[in-house]
Amino acid sequence: MGALGKPIILMVAMYVFLKFVLPNIPGSAPLPSSLIFLYLLLTASGIVIFETLSGESKDAFWGPIQRFLTGENIRGLQALRYGVLILFPILVGWQTYGSTAVSDLPPTESRTIHPAPPGEYTGLSNPVPKTPENIMQGKGFYAAYCSPCHGGNFDGKGPAARGFIPAPANFADPTTIAMLQESYLFWRIKKGGVGLPIEGAPWKSAMPRWEVELPDEWIWKIIMGEYDGAHQSPRTWE
Amino acid sequence: MKPANQMRGRVLCGGIGVLMAMIVGGATLSFAQESVSVRATLMTGGVPIDDPTAAAWSSAPPATFPMSPQVHWQNRIQEATVKDVIVRALHDGKQVAVLVEYSDPTQDPDDAAALEFMVGDKKAHFAHGQPMLQVEGGPVNIWFWKNKAGKAVDMSAKGFGTLKPQEHQDVKAKGVYSNGTWKVVFARDLSNGHVEDDVQITPGQFISIAFAVWDGRKDGAGDLVEKGSQKAVSSWWYFRADAPPDYSGYMYAAIAAALALGFQFVLIRKLKKGQ
Repeated sequence: MGALGKPIILMVAMYVFLKFVLPNIPGSAPLPSSLIFLYLLLTASGIVIFETLSGESKDAFWGPIQRFLTGENIRGLQALRYGVLILFPILVGWQTYGSTAVSDLPPTESRTIHPAPPGEYTGLSNPVPKTPENIMQGKGFYAAYCSPCHGGNFDGKGPAARGFIPAPANFADPTTIAMLQESYLFWRIKKGGVGLPIEGAPWKSAMPRWEVELPDEWIWKIIMGEYDGAHQSPRTWE
Repeated sequence: MKPANQMRGRVLCGGIGVLMAMIVGGATLSFAQESVSVRATLMTGGVPIDDPTAAAWSSAPPATFPMSPQVHWQNRIQEATVKDVIVRALHDGKQVAVLVEYSDPTQDPDDAAALEFMVGDKKAHFAHGQPMLQVEGGPVNIWFWKNKAGKAVDMSAKGFGTLKPQEHQDVKAKGVYSNGTWKVVFARDLSNGHVEDDVQITPGQFISIAFAVWDGRKDGAGDLVEKGSQKAVSSWWYFRADAPPDYSGYMYAAIAAALALGFQFVLIRKLKKGQ
């Protein structure tokens, strides 16, 4: 029995670690159950390989399992054996039912948040001089045209934002404009949601196509105002 | 010595059982979500196609969706009266009825509400299926109700300025106002022959739905505050009519369990013979 004890303790410990300990490590996240299953399968394979390295350890490992399954000389464990033999087919049936049942969840849509811009919108530099007046003017345009959705605090929480999925971008978040170049913003503001390629799911975005309403110069000033207001800097080529 | 061994064996085997149950249980766990779809519950008997207050509605699960003022295109509006719509749906395999419920402090002749659906497989923009630069979009089907008209208009659009009533009017609608709340029911056959213009609802399949609401109040000068593109809108959400009950999952489960049982039987026989 000793040869079987360690592997089982190891499996249980592995499961407890993956399921309950790992997600609580800072910077980590809960693992999907399929991944946990895969890790446990790998652990089990490793154990089997290790335990069957020599003839002796092989017998010590398989012997108790064989005896348990065949029910020879296991005395008090007989009831448990029947339990396992009944439970196993039930679990297989249950698992099969779970995997064939029709899902109640809508299809998942993977949306690329920052798809690649067309060639003509890469590497443009802001032609408007970065003066306090221009930044101020940009913030004024931002307040008039952008803030209803993107928010007076540049946090994507404007009064008109609540119904829109995807939610308007939060410019204070370091994963939005801080990791983009000014020319990328120019493209997004000019062409709006409908200008996104298919992977950007343009049919869901409420971002207006500002090129029909605002001159390019205003858009460049708005970009300046956004970076300044959100305390971010554009990404550069360096 | 022996009792100790037995004891250890019990613990070990119990451990295996618990572990298996945890793995299996964990693998089938599904997570609860906020409402992202309207579920049309399958019912027998008449769907309340013209009764927003019918008792049958209590059997349909409500889904709540946030609304925004329409800012996507001119003419915009910066603030709209309606902040949320609560949506329920019922179907009987032939007809479908969708109940839209929302708060509106006043009942006005120009109060109006609409449902929008994508038609066919092509993705359409939620703003009237307006053209997208890199995606060939499809048309949208709009079911529009206005209080003073007291009926539905079945419309089509493929971009701004193209919205027009269809030649074939297939939608019914009725609104009831009570205690600051509008309840509007829209109804149609699940499917009809107009596959080019009308949404076709196949039970079991998810389709896209969006909502719009106009508060028909007037400002001090007697002009409508919300009209045309100045309205409350939602993005696309999902809609699905329940499929008839399907028991094939039980059959597959039974087959799998039988196979597992057979495997056990053969294995144990082999082990016994081998010893």
